[in-house]
Amino acid sequence: MASVGIKSYAYCLNHAPETGSYYGGTPHEARTSGKEQEYVDALPKHLQTYDQALHYAPNQTYIGGISYEEFESLATPWTDNPLPDEKAQRYGKFGELMPEDEFLGLISACDEFELVWLEPSFAQAVSEKLAKDPFITEAIVKRVVRPKNMHDIAEIKAEVEERDGLYLYHDGKPVGCVRSGHPTDPCLTSHVLLENLAGKASGVLALLHLLKNSGLDAKDLDFVIECSEEGAGDVGQRAGGNFAKAIAEVAGCVNASGCDVRGFCAGPVNAMINAAAQVASGARKNIAVVAGGSIPKLYMNSRDHVKKGLRALEDCVGSFAVLMLPDDGTMPVMRLDVLGKHTVGAGGAPQAVTSALTFEPLQAAGLTFADVDRFAPELQNHEITEPAGAGNVPLANIKMIAALAVMKKAVEKADMMKFIKEHGTVGFAHTQGHIPAGVPFIGPGCELINEGKIKRFMVIGKGSLFLARLTNLADGASFLIEAPTGKPASSSAVTKDDVKALILEALSEVAGKLN
Amino acid sequence: MGKLAGKKLLLLGERDGVPGPAMEACLKDSGAEIIFSATECFV
Repeated sequence: MASVGIKSYAYCLNHAPETGSYYGGTPHEARTSGKEQEYVDALPKHLQTYDQALHYAPNQTYIGGISYEEFESLATPWTDNPLPDEKAQRYGKFGELMPEDEFLGLISACDEFELVWLEPSFAQAVSEKLAKDPFITEAIVKRVVRPKNMHDIAEIKAEVEERDGLYLYHDGKPVGCVRSGHPTDPCLTSHVLLENLAGKASGVLALLHLLKNSGLDAKDLDFVIECSEEGAGDVGQRAGGNFAKAIAEVAGCVNASGCDVRGFCAGPVNAMINAAAQVASGARKNIAVVAGGSIPKLYMNSRDHVKKGLRALEDCVGSFAVLMLPDDGTMPVMRLDVLGKHTVGAGGAPQAVTSALTFEPLQAAGLTFADVDRFAPELQNHEITEPAGAGNVPLANIKMIAALAVMKKAVEKADMMKFIKEHGTVGFAHTQGHIPAGVPFIGPGCELINEGKIKRFMVIGKGSLFLARLTNLADGASFLIEAPTGKPASSSAVTKDDVKALILEALSEVAGKLN
Repeated sequence: MGKLAGKKLLLLGERDGVPGPAMEACLKDSGAEIIFSATECFV
């Protein structure tokens, strides 16, 4: 059995309500169409403060401020049950929830082409705040106050009004801008560049936390695989990449290289499989799988939140990072012999998709549904999705898994609800597309394994490929993480299947000679 | 055949629920005309 060790993980959020209320996909569309002024005017009254975001239980679960088990036991709705102050801290076990002004500073620090301008006093103030963040390097702090990235507000205004720049806001006032990267190239507009630079900056933050959490020196990182949903390129290759190497550069990983893996929300699971295969085979010494978050997804469902008088919760750019090392027997392991694959021929029926991602890989490994302590499918927070009519996505997924388990006689029909409660997971991730796609549970799941509370969990990601209009198909992928084996894995180990194949080959040769 | 025979159908599917092509397959023999089918993603 080929396997790889999960050494460490990081999960961060960047609070971005003002950026989101201008450039989130739904608010931006409403502003530019001019047809939804009532919604545009009402949205600011529904934004949550940074303090409210800190006290919101799903956010603290994501950054590891509270354990997943505690989260499951909390009273709902979480909006009406804020966490006590001692559990509402900026830093959690896995990462942090960074305020928006510092995020703008970090975006500026990640700019290599003088595309992000900040007003000098704002830049100075946020650099001083970022200097207090123990995960932000001195080099990054210095980059926030580079003279070429600081311009007074009159120059910023001219850049926005005369050369298609975009304002950056803080406390209701413009404090900077993102400039257009080219006068005619639609792939280098200020809007596209803001999305890409925010994705890069949030990815950098997750990687910095990963390095500290794991104790790995930045210089010892071998490779980065990035798996967000952004596309960086120009008109000649509109998603040419490469976020991975750009993120590694800012994080000081001078001996690393990297590449990007894409697949909509199935990107992270496919990136994990890709990375695991490379580490298990010895092709790479170690790999960090990293993804920054998405500006366009901010306030995606806020029309309904505003209409229903609710807090607009989609105010954080999410990010994550996972470090894989060769399996030395001491770390939770990702198995490479139990991989779910939604094939082209599987079709789109929910039962077929669920079977391809759960039953088939488990059956091939001699496992059954009950052997998996937790299934972690798409982990969107249902307090965001239910008011918008999109339902409780993780619950819908585990119900489908439970129904399939009953059909396959792995679970008694009478025990179906018990199975859902005991083997499902409650969503706590922002609707950031690829971010909720199963991977937020890698951290909490590995913690539960390390505490001896579970033995095995399955991570499932699904991608809406049809949105790109290339195919009507969706995609999905899954993998298992298990408790440490206690002994190092060997990529050259001979498996039972190898022995069977050798015997069959020998018998076939003998049969040939008999003829 | 049943109460859908002769009707025109607009099918809006959802990735984590029932996708458009799956509904199309189920309704193929219903006698209804499927004039539009799509799958959307709301997350």
